[in-house]
Amino acid sequence: MEERKRNIVVAGAGPVAQEVARQLCERGERVRLVDYDAERLKKARLAGFKAEQVNLEDDEELRSLGLGSEVDVLFALLEEDAENVFLVISVRALAPKMPIVAISETEETVKRLQAAGATKVIDPYQISGYRIYEMVHRPVIAEIMDRTVFGRGVDLQISEIPVPAGCFLDGEYLDRLELGSRYDLVVLGVVDRDYGDQLIFATHPKRHRIDEGDIIVVIGRRDELDRLKRDMEKPA
Amino acid sequence: MKPADLAIRFAYFLEESPRYRRIKGAAYDLLENPQSPVRPYFDFFMMALVLTSVFILLYDVRHHLGHWAVKFEGLVVVVFVLEYLARLWVYDDAHKHIIEVYEESELIDEPFRLSRALREILRSKWDYVSSPLAVIDLLAIFPSYRPLRILRLFLLFRLFKLFRYTQNIQEFGAVLREKKAEFLTLFSFLLFILIVGSSAIYLFESANHGGQVHGFFEGIYWALVTLSTVGYGDITPHSFEGRLVTMVLILSGIGVISFFTSIVVSAFQEKLGEVRERQVAGRLAKLKDYTVICGYGRVGQVVAKHLARDHQPFVIVDESLEAVREARRAGHLAVHGRAQRFGMLRMLGVGGNARRVLCLTGDDVVNVYITLTARQLDEKIEIISRANHHRTLKKLELAGASRALEPYKIVGLIAGEYIGQPVAFEAIQGILMGQEEIALEAVRVPEGSWLEGKRVGETPLEALRLILFGVITPLERESDHVRHYYDLSAHRFQFNPGDDFILLGGDMLLVFGHRYSILRLRHRLKS
Repeated sequence: MEERKRNIVVAGAGPVAQEVARQLCERGERVRLVDYDAERLKKARLAGFKAEQVNLEDDEELRSLGLGSEVDVLFALLEEDAENVFLVISVRALAPKMPIVAISETEETVKRLQAAGATKVIDPYQISGYRIYEMVHRPVIAEIMDRTVFGRGVDLQISEIPVPAGCFLDGEYLDRLELGSRYDLVVLGVVDRDYGDQLIFATHPKRHRIDEGDIIVVIGRRDELDRLKRDMEKPA
Repeated sequence: MKPADLAIRFAYFLEESPRYRRIKGAAYDLLENPQSPVRPYFDFFMMALVLTSVFILLYDVRHHLGHWAVKFEGLVVVVFVLEYLARLWVYDDAHKHIIEVYEESELIDEPFRLSRALREILRSKWDYVSSPLAVIDLLAIFPSYRPLRILRLFLLFRLFKLFRYTQNIQEFGAVLREKKAEFLTLFSFLLFILIVGSSAIYLFESANHGGQVHGFFEGIYWALVTLSTVGYGDITPHSFEGRLVTMVLILSGIGVISFFTSIVVSAFQEKLGEVRERQVAGRLAKLKDYTVICGYGRVGQVVAKHLARDHQPFVIVDESLEAVREARRAGHLAVHGRAQRFGMLRMLGVGGNARRVLCLTGDDVVNVYITLTARQLDEKIEIISRANHHRTLKKLELAGASRALEPYKIVGLIAGEYIGQPVAFEAIQGILMGQEEIALEAVRVPEGSWLEGKRVGETPLEALRLILFGVITPLERESDHVRHYYDLSAHRFQFNPGDDFILLGGDMLLVFGHRYSILRLRHRLKS
């Protein structure tokens, strides 16, 4: 499932959209950059993107992009909040189930975008502000996070690993996995579809028994993560 | 020895004496230095003295005070005289004039003339004596001279003397001084009207013609009372011509008053920024290790909000008046101005008490410029800058930024992670943004605590329901029982240490867990 390339549409060709598109491409996803604004498109093309001009207010054109059919995720990264809200509403009507990630310029728009049907709203200023505050307030932790989760091409990664039936973790208690000594990994928690999409942290007072279909979330180096994944595919 | 030689020798003696310089420095600190810590006490003492003496002199008008009042007045005068002389002394260095004149005459091979040096000294001291504040000081000494009643008027100068000791009133004076030209215009206009008005009323309403004006002085008095729209009515014109003059005078009076008001108001409006700036600088001088936030846009607002919540001191500077107003409304210390100016950053304490500068404007050019300026002012200060474009990162580094952050890149990362692993990233983001009950915190192992020297396996972390992410140690620590470690700028991060890893005092445990668990651990480490 992890190997399949996803079809992603990035709406917007501004600096944020370019950065997102670049990173998604690096991860090996199939990305289409679309915008209606000729000026922004020109800049994006100069930066080396294959950007397409699409009228984002026209449902027919949206449908022809594959929204509601083969597109897996849409990013609404236009520069105006109002444009993003409008796009999210239009696309939500076409594709009721598809994840839509939108960007918000102000705090108030976050709720508006969610109401319009965005699955996730990113507030870049909130995040950047908090990151800078962290650099001031807890510089060591900020540096570790820069070197690990927030960096790119870095040493430590967070990974979600689905538990196959009959693997050696099936039936174990979450707090007894011992992945720290058997592998060089730290277990953060588990997602049990029976209890919803929330992550159940490994520190949760109620002991959780892992079974098939759960997803464990671990942090560690890529090679260790791969070793764990290989071992989990082998039946116990 | 001739007096000239003696004077030269004495001047050099003073120039070389560190003790003399120290004493003079102390006097300067006490009297003039606005940054000196002792000056407020002195000012306060003098204000109390002035008010008491004025009160006694006023009380004396109708009551008879005893012997002690006379003595107190004597003491006040002595203090005032001493203060006056001390200020005269501190104003500049007299002996330097002697040295200057002497060295000049040596250079051109002329005989040294003491009289010329003395003239120089007198001229510079006269500059001080003739300054308004010094005149007030001098006049304030006089009211205690009882035989001359008019000198009682100088009592008011004692009150004026309060000017000297309060910063705000001095600022008020400085603001009005800027409008000298306008006031001069107004004053000459006023004088003209006054002379014309009083002459006219004296002509038409003098007592000889059956009017009430008994002399030219009364004419001036009446003209001023009318002009100022006060209009007591003790003298009223009765002739047709007299009333005509009155009407003209009243109309011009309204003009004069509105002109005067507009001058004062505009002077303050123009200067308000500077006055505020000085007030902020005054407040900053009392702070230490504070943060200077350049740019109060969305990012700046978030940073300021969090810092304020932690009661960490900071000051905001922004080019936009709107943003500054917004910041003040939120209760933050803020200055309006361009942060890239040397003067502005220095005023904000960069190169002084400020600990770090955050460049958070939306313009990369400005951010680089501020970084460069701040780095020039202070080699050690921490500079964190926002890079809106990834190409700026390198420039910021060159300009001297300690750290840089790319907001757009973070969005990209979050977007990418969201695609790959939505649940995990949502959770991690919540933790990192401080939005969850679960937190990632560094807990210090205090020196000499029960945790010191313990193995990781012996710690009660599991019982407290905490997950150990890693241990932060000094860079030079060995990494036994650790499979992977990462060297940071000043620390070594030991990821996932084995059970046999030994903790030392000063190490930090990086743990995930519920806030209560972390609080409990901190609490137990304290006892």
